[in-house]
Amino acid sequence: MMPLRRFQIHQPKTVKEAAEMLSHYGEKGRLYAGGTELLLAMKHDLLRYEHLVDVKTVPGLDEIEIGNASLHIGTTVTHRAIEQSVPVREKFPVLAEMANHVANVRVRSTGTLGGNLCFAEPHSDPATLLLALQAHVHVQGRSGERTLGMEELIVGAYETTLATDELLIGIDIPRIAKSQRAAYLKFQTHERPTLGLALVLDVDGNGRSITKARAAVGSVSPKPCRSDQADALLAGPRDKVEKQLDDAAKVLADAADPVDDLEGSAEYKRHLIGVYLRRAFVKALA
Amino acid sequence: MSQKAGKKGEFHVVNHSVPRRDGRAKVTGKATYVSDVKLTGMAYAKVLRSPYAHAKILSIDASGAASRPGIYCVITGNDLEGLDPYYGHAVKDHPLLAIGKVRYVGEPVAAAVAVDERTAFEALEHIEVKYEELKAVLTPEDAIAKDAPLLHEKKFEAGALRGFEGEVAAGRGTNICQEAHIKWGDVEAAFKKAAAVVEGEYYFPMTYAYAMEAYVAIADVNDNGVTVYSSAQHPFMVRHDLKSIFNLPVSQVRLIVPFVGGGYGSKSYTKIEPLAAACSWKAKRPVKLQLTIEEAMLTTRSDDAYTWMRTAVNADGKIIARQARIYMNTGAYAENSPLVVEKSTNRCVGPYSIPNVQIDNCSFYTNTVPASSYRGFGCAQVTLPGESQIDELAAKIGKDPYEFRLANVAKPGEEFFPKMRSFDGTLKEDLDIAAKAIGWKEPLAKGRGRSVACSGSDAGAYPLTSTAVRVHADGSVTILTGSTELGQGSHTVIPQIAAEELGVPFENVHVVSSDTAITPYDRSTGASRTTTLMGSAVLEASREAIQQMVVMAADVLKVKVEQIQAIRGGVRCGEAQLNWSEVISKFYGLPDGEVIGRSYIRKSGKFAQLPVFWETACTGVEVSVDQETGKIAVEKLATVGDVGLAINPALAEGQDLGAATMGMGIGLFEELIYQGPQLMNGSILDYRLPRFSDLPKQVELHLVENQDGVGPYGAKGGGEASLNSMAANIANAVERAVGVRIRSAPLTPEKVWRALKERKQ
Ligand SMILES: Cc1cc2nc3c(=O)[nH]c(=O)nc-3n(C[C@H](O)[C@H](O)[C@H](O)COP(=O)(O)OP(=O)(O)OC[C@H]3O[C@@H](n4cnc5c(N)ncnc54)[C@H](O)[C@@H]3O)c2cc1C
Repeated sequence: MMPLRRFQIHQPKTVKEAAEMLSHYGEKGRLYAGGTELLLAMKHDLLRYEHLVDVKTVPGLDEIEIGNASLHIGTTVTHRAIEQSVPVREKFPVLAEMANHVANVRVRSTGTLGGNLCFAEPHSDPATLLLALQAHVHVQGRSGERTLGMEELIVGAYETTLATDELLIGIDIPRIAKSQRAAYLKFQTHERPTLGLALVLDVDGNGRSITKARAAVGSVSPKPCRSDQADALLAGPRDKVEKQLDDAAKVLADAADPVDDLEGSAEYKRHLIGVYLRRAFVKALA
Repeated sequence: MSQKAGKKGEFHVVNHSVPRRDGRAKVTGKATYVSDVKLTGMAYAKVLRSPYAHAKILSIDASGAASRPGIYCVITGNDLEGLDPYYGHAVKDHPLLAIGKVRYVGEPVAAAVAVDERTAFEALEHIEVKYEELKAVLTPEDAIAKDAPLLHEKKFEAGALRGFEGEVAAGRGTNICQEAHIKWGDVEAAFKKAAAVVEGEYYFPMTYAYAMEAYVAIADVNDNGVTVYSSAQHPFMVRHDLKSIFNLPVSQVRLIVPFVGGGYGSKSYTKIEPLAAACSWKAKRPVKLQLTIEEAMLTTRSDDAYTWMRTAVNADGKIIARQARIYMNTGAYAENSPLVVEKSTNRCVGPYSIPNVQIDNCSFYTNTVPASSYRGFGCAQVTLPGESQIDELAAKIGKDPYEFRLANVAKPGEEFFPKMRSFDGTLKEDLDIAAKAIGWKEPLAKGRGRSVACSGSDAGAYPLTSTAVRVHADGSVTILTGSTELGQGSHTVIPQIAAEELGVPFENVHVVSSDTAITPYDRSTGASRTTTLMGSAVLEASREAIQQMVVMAADVLKVKVEQIQAIRGGVRCGEAQLNWSEVISKFYGLPDGEVIGRSYIRKSGKFAQLPVFWETACTGVEVSVDQETGKIAVEKLATVGDVGLAINPALAEGQDLGAATMGMGIGLFEELIYQGPQLMNGSILDYRLPRFSDLPKQVELHLVENQDGVGPYGAKGGGEASLNSMAANIANAVERAVGVRIRSAPLTPEKVWRALKERKQ
């Protein structure tokens, strides 16, 4: 880490003002939330910006609200705030538990959910879980607002579909129904996860069969990934699904198409998808 | 003299866990490290580093950088005229900035000196360097290839302070940096008649000795000479290099070392001090050079080692022969690796009594980060193969590996290594304690395994140490010591010894340390030598002060010296009793003045035979293996430090826990990874260090204190040895847990998973 190069910081009071600033500075500017990724990359001289637009000075973006149909998380809500929120812990325990295992407490206290998603670093825990939970994000630019699904937001390693003037303002997660069971597990030996696996199962009253399933795997390839075919294999009578777990894992692994890197070989990651799909299945139904 | 070395149980100050002296200052942030030092008019340097592993430097144009506002100067390899820019205590092969050629990615090529760090850093990209890339040599295999390019074209002389008696092999027209060979008995014959033999190839990785404080130096070069504040373990060795770079008398070179934020070998010998000093020399003002952790990772590492080894046993279960061939990868410059080669060769024998031995070891220059000292000093590299083979052999002949060790370890007093000091440890006792601590004989849960392993190293501690103990007129004491406080506790242990000897309260004894202009010569703070050697010097100097004060007391009391009896804290003569304060005050006729006790330790007397001690320890582990992912967890850890006598037991145990944790890191995940010429995980975000969450749930720390060392009260060195056996221990325990033998560290989850998969097939 080198000394930070000189830059100017700007403090917008509204989303619109922030969008104007981003548009004005173009390539030379960047939105700045907790800075845990941005400043680190700048200190490593991997990124250079002359202007940082501090989204934290815009009021109202740091709130967690539970509605009847969904949970709303403002973009500047930190991992720590999610992990410690009583309503989240009660109604979305899977989310609170995931947040509790992001990075270390220093990063969690400063790093925001919005920053995590917008950086699109491939080893993101929330991006994987939110894909399985069918979350949507709200985005606002100079010319108005858009709502995007997770797959429409993150399209590659460090790659989102946000336009230069657009910022993420919040995330909506549909309520987890009584009939739904969710689990998120990760395998991690380094600073960031080698694999994250999220599973949401709709079960019938007695838990004998799964009416609908949604699995997502992340960290093994450039972006979190899911597969309709894998989800189909994960639905049906429980004992049948148990026998199909290996097939589902294989389909999911094919869809994710893991890459070789310092976290491990593609082959090993494919194997881990199988192990963790089974573990997540057991955990979700426990 | 009534003073005698006491027995355990009789001590007043030593062998007690008094709280460490620097503890409060350190945890409250008040302790001074080099980065806290600020000199008047101080400038800041930043370093431009080579993007190539091996390249000719065709030209450097620094004008664009030098003319920027706030820049004092830019220095390159072309600006060193008037200096002798090559340094190295073993081989003078290391230019303080690349001259004409770069030899690894990250090698310093130029430095900018500016009003602040940021300005210096921002100037770097305006220095234009033209390179012509050369073929790079990355592994020992590359280095010996027929058409391998040469890293070093120059001839080198062996450094006078290299720490061993043999020649150095570097600079003879090959990429060989150093060779070492030992041989006794008839290895071939022994293997022929063996009842069982194991043979295998092992790999010990490149590791980084992470210290919380990265390298930092502040240099002030002016007409009076060279003064450098540095995070150096061995200020006197650095002084020697600086003296020759600047061609100055020793008296004009001054190294000052405040607290050092961890070393583990990585801060031994000269590192960034010559560059900082050259910056100051050119900028004509004090200059601070503070590296980042990432830059520190481009400064030094451990030698990685490829070892082929075989070990033979006879029908009675006695080890009869061991042979090994080791190739070490020492990186771009020799640094202290010639000594690492020498030591790793010796340490292949382990603490075993083996009648037929042949070890051939060779280290190679490659275009990678230079390797040097690393805690354990070549021992960990060869204890992975050595202690693995003990278990492999035991399994082969159907013996319990613990019993097998008991039957073969060197015995107390045994001359198991020709021409070396006879063994001064009690390994059977140590092993017994380690085995009990991890429940060796108890039933094991599925997927779990245990191992106990040991190491005994011929300590690299060279006996050349001096000190002064100043007893003041109020009876308080100041010790001048060249030993640096790196966290190991020397500032606590040294005054404990003086307080014990002089019979004064520990609270009244203080230390002034590591300023080469003030503190007497001490060769180094490494190889676990401080307690044994500096401790002995402080003990002797305290006794010498007492002798002087006995003479003074005779003068004061107007009696013959023979009539004075030294007692704890003072003297007696018939009815009269005087404490030291009274002796000194009466002698000078004023309540002021002092007595200076001195001592000089050299390779003679009880220190004549090397090693001055065998650094001996055992560790025991219980591991669990997740057979689906291959992930290992260390469930239990026991350390047994065979330290003779612990001057401060809590500190000695802390050293063992630290060393074992570091060894566990190597066993489980630490490894610098190169892809081609590029270091891929050169930051602590990517290089995986042990965390608190990795620590075993159950830890037992034991010390064995038989007062069998040559140090004060029978003390010996400790603090490295618990690292050495850990990687082998983990490999052995994994084998016993899940039946796969892994011969390379670290045992990453994927490696274990692959081994399990191969076994199934
Ligand atoms: C040591 C370490 C360990 C980590 N471990 C994990 C882990 O285990 N699991 C995991 O999931 N993550 C991990 N992370 C990532 C961590 O979650 C993120 O660093 C953090 O959430 C990013 O948030 P931030 O507010 O600091 O973003 P910043 O650094 O401020 O911003 C990151 C990027 O997002 C952009 N951005 C931020 N907010 C917005 C917005 N509202 N609209 C548009 N663009 C925006 C910025 O312009 C920037 O490009 C780790 C990070 C570190 C440093």
